[in-house]
Amino acid sequence: MTSQAQILPGTLDLLILKAVSLGPLHGYGVLLRIEQISGGALLVEQGALYPALFRLVRQGLLKASWGTSENNRRAKFYELTSAGRKRLQQEADGWNRLAAAIATALNTRPEEV
Amino acid sequence: MSLLSLLRSAIDALLHRARVENDTEEELRCHVQNRADDLERPGLTRAEAERRARIEFGGHEKYKEECREERGGFWLETVWTDMRYGLRMLAKSPGFTTVAILTLALGIGVNTTLFTAFDSLALKPLPVKDPDNIVRFERWFASGATGDMQHAFSYPEYLYYRDHHHAFSDVIAASWPTQVLATLPAESVGEWSAPPEPQPIECQLVSASYFSVLGINAVVGRVFGAEENQVPGTNPVVVLSHSFWLRQFNSDSQISGTTLEVNGTAFTIIGVAPPDFIGTGNPPRVPDFWAPIATQAQLIPRSDWLHEPTSRRLQLLGRIAPGSSHNQAQAETSVLTRQFAQAHPAPDTRSWDAETIAVTLEPATYFGETDELWFHAFVAGLMAVVGLVLLVACVNLANMSLARAANRQKEIGTRLALGASRGRLIRQLMTESVLLAMLGGLGGLLFSLWATKLAWLGLTRLVQALMGGGISIAAMTPDFRVFLYTFGLSLLTGVLFGLWPALQSSKADVTRSLKAEGSAFGQPLNRSRFRSFLVGGQVAVSMVLLISSGLLLRAMVRSQAARPGFETKKVFLLSLDLGSDKAKARVMKRQVINRLETLPEVADVALTDRLPYLGTMTFSLRVEGSQAPRKSLPGQTLVNYVSPSYFSTLGIPIVRGRDFSPQEAEALLPVVIVSESTARHAWPGEDPVGKHLKLAQPFRDRGGWKEYEVVGVAKDVRFFNLTRIDPEYTYLPTNVSQSNSVLIRAARSPRDTIARVRTSLGSLDKSLLPKLGFVSLDHFMQTQELLPQAAAIFAGILALLALALAAVGIYGVMAYLVTQRTREVGIRLAFGACTNDVLRLIVRQGMLPVGIGAACGLAVSTAISGLLRAILIFPGSYDLLFGVSAFDPTTYVGLTAILTSIALLACYMPTRRAMRVDPILALRYE
Repeated sequence: MTSQAQILPGTLDLLILKAVSLGPLHGYGVLLRIEQISGGALLVEQGALYPALFRLVRQGLLKASWGTSENNRRAKFYELTSAGRKRLQQEADGWNRLAAAIATALNTRPEEV
Repeated sequence: MSLLSLLRSAIDALLHRARVENDTEEELRCHVQNRADDLERPGLTRAEAERRARIEFGGHEKYKEECREERGGFWLETVWTDMRYGLRMLAKSPGFTTVAILTLALGIGVNTTLFTAFDSLALKPLPVKDPDNIVRFERWFASGATGDMQHAFSYPEYLYYRDHHHAFSDVIAASWPTQVLATLPAESVGEWSAPPEPQPIECQLVSASYFSVLGINAVVGRVFGAEENQVPGTNPVVVLSHSFWLRQFNSDSQISGTTLEVNGTAFTIIGVAPPDFIGTGNPPRVPDFWAPIATQAQLIPRSDWLHEPTSRRLQLLGRIAPGSSHNQAQAETSVLTRQFAQAHPAPDTRSWDAETIAVTLEPATYFGETDELWFHAFVAGLMAVVGLVLLVACVNLANMSLARAANRQKEIGTRLALGASRGRLIRQLMTESVLLAMLGGLGGLLFSLWATKLAWLGLTRLVQALMGGGISIAAMTPDFRVFLYTFGLSLLTGVLFGLWPALQSSKADVTRSLKAEGSAFGQPLNRSRFRSFLVGGQVAVSMVLLISSGLLLRAMVRSQAARPGFETKKVFLLSLDLGSDKAKARVMKRQVINRLETLPEVADVALTDRLPYLGTMTFSLRVEGSQAPRKSLPGQTLVNYVSPSYFSTLGIPIVRGRDFSPQEAEALLPVVIVSESTARHAWPGEDPVGKHLKLAQPFRDRGGWKEYEVVGVAKDVRFFNLTRIDPEYTYLPTNVSQSNSVLIRAARSPRDTIARVRTSLGSLDKSLLPKLGFVSLDHFMQTQELLPQAAAIFAGILALLALALAAVGIYGVMAYLVTQRTREVGIRLAFGACTNDVLRLIVRQGMLPVGIGAACGLAVSTAISGLLRAILIFPGSYDLLFGVSAFDPTTYVGLTAILTSIALLACYMPTRRAMRVDPILALRYE
């Protein structure tokens, strides 16, 4: 728990899309999945998850339906729509380009200039 | 796709609000439960696990609110919630709400009333069938002359348009109301009824299709049919106006088929027009009856309208045919106008009405000058004045809202702390103020319904006094434009007075507002300064309104005492119809004057070109042989053409020199008589008699100067304008051969004189009688006194409103400020301050903005007065102030004193009440 990082603004949506793309999830499941796939390195503020989920549903990137969770609770499950899949692809590409560019910039040594 | 889903979720959210709300709640709870399940395993109790889960989750309500915001349809939903909340808040403080709604109702009501009047007079079309495709013909002269004559067309012109037009389904014509003599059923007094005497009544000649084209049906009998106008002189039938039928025939439903004797011819009454039909005239004027144009020879015996292309007596209206456009109709009209002008060249090419440059099709509203600049300027001026009252109301409310917002600081702080965003809070506060404004607008609409009726009555009386009886004004009823206007105005008002307080109070510092309610010492300085600014502004606006109404009121008092300087009660204008043949008319006029001069009941007969208070005639003036510096000499003079007996008829003394001699008048020699003022301005300190001056008419003889010799000086009069002595006035001689009005001075009682003149002229020529009329000059003068009365009443009402609103505003703010300072007062008193000192301190602080506002108001009033004086004053212009100086010190000082004392009272009363508080109680206040 020591090396947890606050997630950057704007990346929460991307993480949610990615988490849901691996299979339909309920809200708490999304939280756990993000922790799992980030190796526990990213800290999501739990409450903030829900406004983001609502936003993505409104934008038509996710769709929601009520079902039953693994421990027999009624829960709302989210899954990716085709628009959401497309968006995830775009955002992931964008993020990778940005991350690569920053990584290159940060790895620059004095003699390379 | 995304738009569609947005819409769907919005509708979903609205329709299933409760379910969606529950779902959200359940989802969040589910999360916490799941988390608690995970936390429970390492050996925590369930309760402790749930507690931790909740803490980890964060602000439950805050996130719920954020979820709500992210959901579609949120905007609509919150408007609804805000409205319900707003209504609850308003209901919770009924005192504030009542005062606010009343204030707004007054402010908006006054504006709506004026707009309703403007709408009915200028915007609404004629109350006839399909008014949108009815157009009015308007003529434009090469000479640039404007006025009533622009709507006048001859019968041959009418026929030409009617028969050659394809873009119109029909063209109709109506004359101006004209006087006829009718033998009316005698009022029977017991068995002895007096033999019926012919009485003058008004009739209007219309084309046969007039009523049918307008879609007006008779309430009794029928209107004119197509056959009614075919053969001149046949089918003498009439349709009565509703009011005439009511007045003279007691609403007799069996009236159809009975006869009415007019000018000696028996007319058959065929029907009665509906009561709400007030004609198509401009301005609208209801005659006593309508008759087909074919009967003109019987009704107006000395003229022949049907065959004279220059006898322009008819107003034309056209109904554009279905399938044709306004442009098409206009293009065709232009072609037809040119063709007609080529076929009928004007007999006198030098006359101002000789050349028509265009005939345009105008929307058929009442009061045709509505598209002119002065009318717009006038309306804009009125709107601005009435707008000021609303502005005062707005400022009042902004002030009260600010005070209230300060009291609600705790509530607002709580909301901010619970995670409401600032935008959300502003939206909610604005909803409240707009809601209040809407309620006020509703009240204003109700108020205006009542006020419009009052205004209609007043306006009708004013117009009838100014333009003669029979004129009526279309009923002023609100239509969709009025509703739209009121709605827009209310919305604007709500935003105007709500925005600043909302911005201010939502800025609150959370911790401080939760800790201590805005105490006297914690009060942010800038906010109270802004409030003072509002009070000052309010006082300034009231001051401007007060001063203008004060000046007008003084003018009204003065107008009652204004004397014209000539005889008005015994002098009558003789209205005569001498026919359209000019040579015959001249002979007839000479005979009439000769006959009048032999009558012992007539003391004097005079000719004049101008009538008092009915328009001016101004010539350019060049003074010759004056010792005075060229710059100080007058360059313009009012002019009248008069016969030699004019001065004795009107009782204007010749103070120097002499009257015109009959020979000078007969030969129209270049001699003039000037007024005393003119003489004083042109030749100060010299004898004006024998001096020369040059005159040039603005229209005819373009720029040609003619020289005249001064033979006499007449005493100053107020002839063109009762409000002040005519600044420059030059009289030129005239005689019977010119087209002039005839004035007589009664030697006996007016009644006897009129009766004698009537019988005498009747024996000279019977056909003179129908149109013979007598108007006393006193009548012309009364119209001049009415305007300042109307203006003073109007301004007075507005000023009282503004004053009342300002007083309420000052009182409200002071009461609030004093309550806020109760603790401070308590401390001061506890430390031994004298009550009077504290009282003086608080009142002085309250009065400071009032003083500044009053000073600003005075400055603005002075500036406006000066500006108006510079713009509106020209020779012969109507001076609404009746010679009261626009900077009249009595008015300025007096009204400032009144306003200040009212403000002082409004400051003193709440302060005084606060002083009675026991200091110990005040300190324990919180």
